[in-house]
Amino acid sequence: MEKSQSQGMRKRQRRRDFLIKTAGGAVAAGALAKLGMPRLARAAEPVNIGGLYPVTGSFAQIGQGCVNAAKLAVQMVNEAGGIKSLGGAKLNLIISDVQSDTTVTRTETDRLISSYKPAAIHGCFASALTLIASEVAERAKVPLLTGSSSDQLNKGRHYTFTPFSRASQFALAQLQMSKLVSDKPKVAVVFENTAFGTSTSNGLREQAPGEGVEIVLFEPYSAGLTDAGPLINKVRASGANMLFPVSYLNDLILIIRAIKQGGLQVAINGGSGGFVIPDFYKNVGSVAEGLLGVAHWNHDINADAQKVNAAYQKQYGEFLFEYAGGLVAQTFMIADALERAASTDPQKVSDAIASLDVSQGYAAMCPGGRVKFGPDGKNIYAHPVGVQWQRGDLATVFPKDDARAPLLKS
Amino acid sequence: MIETLAQAVVNGLLIGGIYALVSIGVTLIFGVVKIVNFAQGEFVMIGMYISFFLATYFGIDPLLSLFISMPVLFVVGVLIQHFLIRRVLGLGDMPQIFLTFALSLLLVNVALLLFTANYRTVETSYSETAIHLGAVYVPVAKLIAFVVAMALSGTLWVFLHSTDLGKAMRAAAQNRDVTMLMGINPDRVFAVAVGVALALAGAAGSLLMPFYPAYPMVGQVFVLMAFVAVVLGTLGNVTGALIASLMMGVAESLGIQFVGADSGLIVVFLMLLLTLALRPSGLFGGWTR
Repeated sequence: MEKSQSQGMRKRQRRRDFLIKTAGGAVAAGALAKLGMPRLARAAEPVNIGGLYPVTGSFAQIGQGCVNAAKLAVQMVNEAGGIKSLGGAKLNLIISDVQSDTTVTRTETDRLISSYKPAAIHGCFASALTLIASEVAERAKVPLLTGSSSDQLNKGRHYTFTPFSRASQFALAQLQMSKLVSDKPKVAVVFENTAFGTSTSNGLREQAPGEGVEIVLFEPYSAGLTDAGPLINKVRASGANMLFPVSYLNDLILIIRAIKQGGLQVAINGGSGGFVIPDFYKNVGSVAEGLLGVAHWNHDINADAQKVNAAYQKQYGEFLFEYAGGLVAQTFMIADALERAASTDPQKVSDAIASLDVSQGYAAMCPGGRVKFGPDGKNIYAHPVGVQWQRGDLATVFPKDDARAPLLKS
Repeated sequence: MIETLAQAVVNGLLIGGIYALVSIGVTLIFGVVKIVNFAQGEFVMIGMYISFFLATYFGIDPLLSLFISMPVLFVVGVLIQHFLIRRVLGLGDMPQIFLTFALSLLLVNVALLLFTANYRTVETSYSETAIHLGAVYVPVAKLIAFVVAMALSGTLWVFLHSTDLGKAMRAAAQNRDVTMLMGINPDRVFAVAVGVALALAGAAGSLLMPFYPAYPMVGQVFVLMAFVAVVLGTLGNVTGALIASLMMGVAESLGIQFVGADSGLIVVFLMLLLTLALRPSGLFGGWTR
């Protein structure tokens, strides 16, 4: 679910975006290829690990943030002495640009594995891309760690590991969060009438009765609103105290503003998606204040996360966002596995990841505080957290055990 | 029930005012220069970015930036008429369509390159406030936009009916050749028409900025409605476009309220189909300008 919001982006827009960014992309790709060259061995042979991220194309902005975090994570592992069981071998991060494109993802994953023989890989942010990369990694028997939330990634795969909550868990968390606002939540679901909007909203509707949440309005609308006033008029008439907009950003902005203009007392939970990144607040401004969401990782969940966040913030001037923070933890999971496997053989590393069980340190830096994979590659302790925009920062407010800030009532 | 209905009508009228500014521009260019400007929405987008940057970097209220966006776009309009449109006049429909369509593509992509696809908003003191009239609320930003839009439309009407230049424009719209025989310079008239049309688009952009996010593709949202209004209100008829825009805003809003939020446009297009079937020349056929 999480990245489907971006996927739901109109095709035309994506194509234009792509055309424009390819020019800059060619330059970026050249620079990255240089960075990716294996360095000369010093004491011990460095261990190649792969990072597959879209640095060009429609996901470029987020992909670049992921690359920054991946570099920071490798630097942290190396500065702490590298992999001791391999004679203090340093990690060598090889970034491959998957260009927000499924075909490119297939060839790039293939190329990365055959040319650099990485011990493990992490990537690719967007579920649609990760699904392809995980198929290629599966065939090559190279372990792949990912924060992508598609439940499909846990089906029929032996080398794919997902340390964070799954798409199916997000809807549930979103419904449970409505109880923060009221004991008797009355939820209005307004969703764009696209594949993304329909599937997400249906997921919410199916699970609502089980959570004791009443859905008082279930309303599809045509994406690309000129005016959200009429739609909010319906929300008002429904008597809802909680609103779930399943919307792309432009519509979401109009919806939030129409609610404020109408003086409507209703909390808004946008679920997971493109609005739990710093850019969202930068673009949207204080309109975002108080908005609720769901994330698989947040920078305030524990002391380690806060430490990494501080380092990232110092270097890049913005907080460490959901996906980027998660992949820092993944890098430490790979380091932990390498340490125990004492080998760079992907099969042995994969076995070591499968038997991973950590509950402290950077590798355990995720909601749930513990990582142990089940037979389907799913972290059995993972759960999503509820977040809220508070003064330009994203604060964890749900569940109770993870909450780092009190809920800001609108 | 009556409150809901009243609210729906108010919402519709307010957004209809914005549709009107865009559609009047389209219909003015079509009426006078006889060219369909597919890039009209992109000039709304430019107006929005002008207001956005003036607000962000100079703290100028988007409504005041109207006095900058309108003249800037007027000049842009005159230049576009002089250097681009003038050259394809009399070449048939295709080159004209390609010209304005290419202009639209170019502007969207230049905007993507310069401003990225991000959504930009401006926060004003009145962005999120509303006047409450009983149970009906009227958002202040939209009310201001509506009032200014109506004032600009009124000014344009007066200009077209009581100034020599305005009369010349109407004359050129009716018959270009006769107008030239009467000693009117069509180049000058056309340049002013395109300039005024783009200035209106710029005004729409500035008026939208306090409550609508700016992004490179934003023009396409409004231009669709504008084209429907232009056809509904009879091609080239300024008053017709204005009335049709308001009608469409209300029809869309009522459609969302009483049919379904994904049916607002269905109601609008149904209206268009019925009009085309029953009154093919639009609701306001004839030269009521």
